[in-house]
Amino acid sequence: MNIFLYLDKETWIHRLDPRTKLISAVILFGICLCFNHPVYLAVISAGIFFLGLWARALSNFWKLRYILLLLILFSSILWPFFVSGPTRWWGWGPFAISRESAFYGLAMGLRLSTFVGIGLIFLSTTRNEELTNGLIRLGVPYPLAFALSTALRLVPTFVGAGATIIQAQVSRGLDLESGNIFRRIGKFIPQAVPLFIYAIHHTNYLAMALESKGFDPKAKRTFYYEPKMQRIDFMVLGFFVLLLFVLLYMRLGLGLGVIIKGRL
Amino acid sequence: MSIAVSIENLSFTYAGKENPALKNIQARIEEGSFICIMGHGGAGKSSLCYALNALIPKFFRGSYLGRVVVKGNEVSKQTVSRLSRQVGLVLQDFEAQLFSTNVELEMAFGPENHALPRLEIKKRIQYYLKSIGLEHFGQRQPATLSGGQKQRLAIGSVLTMEPDTLVLDEPTTDLDPKGAEEVLAVAQGLRQENRTLVMVAPEPEIAMDADRIWLMRDGELIAQGPPNEILTDTSKLISCGVKPPSLLELFQSLGWPGKPMSIVQALTLIEQHQLFPQRKQIPPPLSSGQIKGPYILQAEDLEYVYPFQGIKALQGINLTIGEGEFVALLGQNGSGKTTLAKHCNGLLKPTTGRMLVQGKTTSAYSHKELAQKVGYIFQNPDHQIFARTVEEEIGFGLKVLGIDSKTIQRRVTEALEVVGLQGYEKEIPFTLTKGERQRVAVASVLAVQPQVIILDEPTTGLDYGHQRHMMDLLRDLNQKGHTIIIITHSMWVAAEYAGRTIVLKEGCIVLDGPTRSVFADESKLAEASLAPPPLVQMSNRLGLEALTLKQMVQELKR
Repeated sequence: MNIFLYLDKETWIHRLDPRTKLISAVILFGICLCFNHPVYLAVISAGIFFLGLWARALSNFWKLRYILLLLILFSSILWPFFVSGPTRWWGWGPFAISRESAFYGLAMGLRLSTFVGIGLIFLSTTRNEELTNGLIRLGVPYPLAFALSTALRLVPTFVGAGATIIQAQVSRGLDLESGNIFRRIGKFIPQAVPLFIYAIHHTNYLAMALESKGFDPKAKRTFYYEPKMQRIDFMVLGFFVLLLFVLLYMRLGLGLGVIIKGRL
Repeated sequence: MSIAVSIENLSFTYAGKENPALKNIQARIEEGSFICIMGHGGAGKSSLCYALNALIPKFFRGSYLGRVVVKGNEVSKQTVSRLSRQVGLVLQDFEAQLFSTNVELEMAFGPENHALPRLEIKKRIQYYLKSIGLEHFGQRQPATLSGGQKQRLAIGSVLTMEPDTLVLDEPTTDLDPKGAEEVLAVAQGLRQENRTLVMVAPEPEIAMDADRIWLMRDGELIAQGPPNEILTDTSKLISCGVKPPSLLELFQSLGWPGKPMSIVQALTLIEQHQLFPQRKQIPPPLSSGQIKGPYILQAEDLEYVYPFQGIKALQGINLTIGEGEFVALLGQNGSGKTTLAKHCNGLLKPTTGRMLVQGKTTSAYSHKELAQKVGYIFQNPDHQIFARTVEEEIGFGLKVLGIDSKTIQRRVTEALEVVGLQGYEKEIPFTLTKGERQRVAVASVLAVQPQVIILDEPTTGLDYGHQRHMMDLLRDLNQKGHTIIIITHSMWVAAEYAGRTIVLKEGCIVLDGPTRSVFADESKLAEASLAPPPLVQMSNRLGLEALTLKQMVQELKR
């Protein structure tokens, strides 16, 4: 089963320098934080969705559709209880919902799923090696960058092993479908133990393989894929920086896109 | 000839272990030669490989005596990464050592670490992609490759570092016959380039081309010499847990002259000495489709499509299996064997069609109920072992079923007796050997007393002695009335133990019948990229009915 997020396509977003993509992702996160009005955030979300379309990464959005929807749903339901606004809609004891708090909840849902969307586009268009490379060029030490990308790389491997382990235990009659929450948690022990052992064994083995291939975190090394900042990279970065400043001015200077004051 | 590697009185004991893994190893490897290491599980084959590239003593700590010298440099005074320019090691588990996002980058990783210029790396990748036969796969994700391709990539990723000596630890063990053949072809190509090759070989057929064979037992190198010297000493091979070459064994048991290693050699010998009047006809296929007991498993127009990829793994399977049968499922990886087997205990539900267990569809049962009827043992016992003691591990299935503790205790003892692990109740499962852990896994399914027992690759990763042990155990269970279904790549295991053999190819059944008649149809088997084991091929050529050595000796003596 292919559980990697990277999609090997030929788009201009794929070809961008990993540094550009890393910095742009950070700027985009910042842009998401500019407003807390759902209409403004909806525009930003639509923009990200459009970028996803352009990067031909929508299949990954589809893969994670439940997570994205759940984020919106939970935020919209839970946030309204934790903030208050002037236009009261409903109240019961300490619980109250206002028009503003409901909108704020919706905005937070959009913001969270847009965060995930930005991350998705980044991972769908950037190879693991490019990520490592980008981080190193941004000044992250090689061992750290390598550890991070290896951790990312191991997630699908462990998910796969976990699936096999669940099947093996279900084959022995382990019933994961019934019982209350506490009993269910107890049922995870037969899976957690083999998974731990597998993880330890696997990482140890990987370390052996790395050393056998001459890996030495302190030594000088070549990077086979050498990304170069091109004109388009500077244009993209320039555009996002400009956009960030414009939006910051709209929020801070003009006070636009705010549903509840004094909150991010 | 100059010496590539010399091992001088090497002993090694892993930290925290009592018994040494390697004892007084004394050996030399000539430059450009091909060495095969053979021996039982735990004989120290892998440890010896690690000692060649300094993983022992640099990665694995312990007490290290003696020395290993590679091209005049003492291994223990180097780091693993510096030594990687001289000795390339391909580990046994190829899945775990591939970690890049495409084939090209996987192969670039070694030379990147050596800080070679980019152009040189590119040149090497192009060159070695050709020698491993993956020219058109440069941009592919390693995860999407077949087993044989992955193993070849693992070899390629070490080759790009251009080590003088290449060490391969059991490169064919986890592969289907076709994948194994591909990997051996690559190894063959490397020999022609005059590279020094050290390979741990599980089967004698692979070791026949070696210049020298090293035979190991309990950490000692008990014999070394050319193949026609080592492989002909049948009793010594068996004492080291190695399967003797079957044709040679046949000739020895019959007292026939000569030491044939291949079918061609054997047939020429027979003709030369007129040992047996060659009958031309192939044995008549025995009456097929006769099923002893009542049906226990029935598949009707079973189709299965994997939900995420939309790949049709099974295309209209019709199959009935009777109570008390011993069935072998053969086929390449991806032919649908495991998918079919997982339908039998309801792990997978058919996309269309039906799967019946004792006349009821699998979806009408709960997993719990099915687990009592159909036991399924996964290939890797470590995927299921989790308990602190063997007793707890085996009793787990029973406890889940809500059986009282007295009965549990009785059944655990019984199950342990059946698998030959009496008195192991209080042992910690993780400290047992692979063979023992596999038997614990079998016992844990046995304790539930299911009618049908399915085993995915029960012999992979076990040495010959343990393979025999496992299969004899299954035969006993079959004689006690259990229906046994094994998924296997090992042809001799199917020939010798299964009464019925089913061959799958691309999700369809291409052959199904008594094992003898399935193995008689060599052309159909070849279509599924399979071949009968050497002994059965011989039997086919001579027009005999025998499937095993014993039967063949009897038939030929008549």
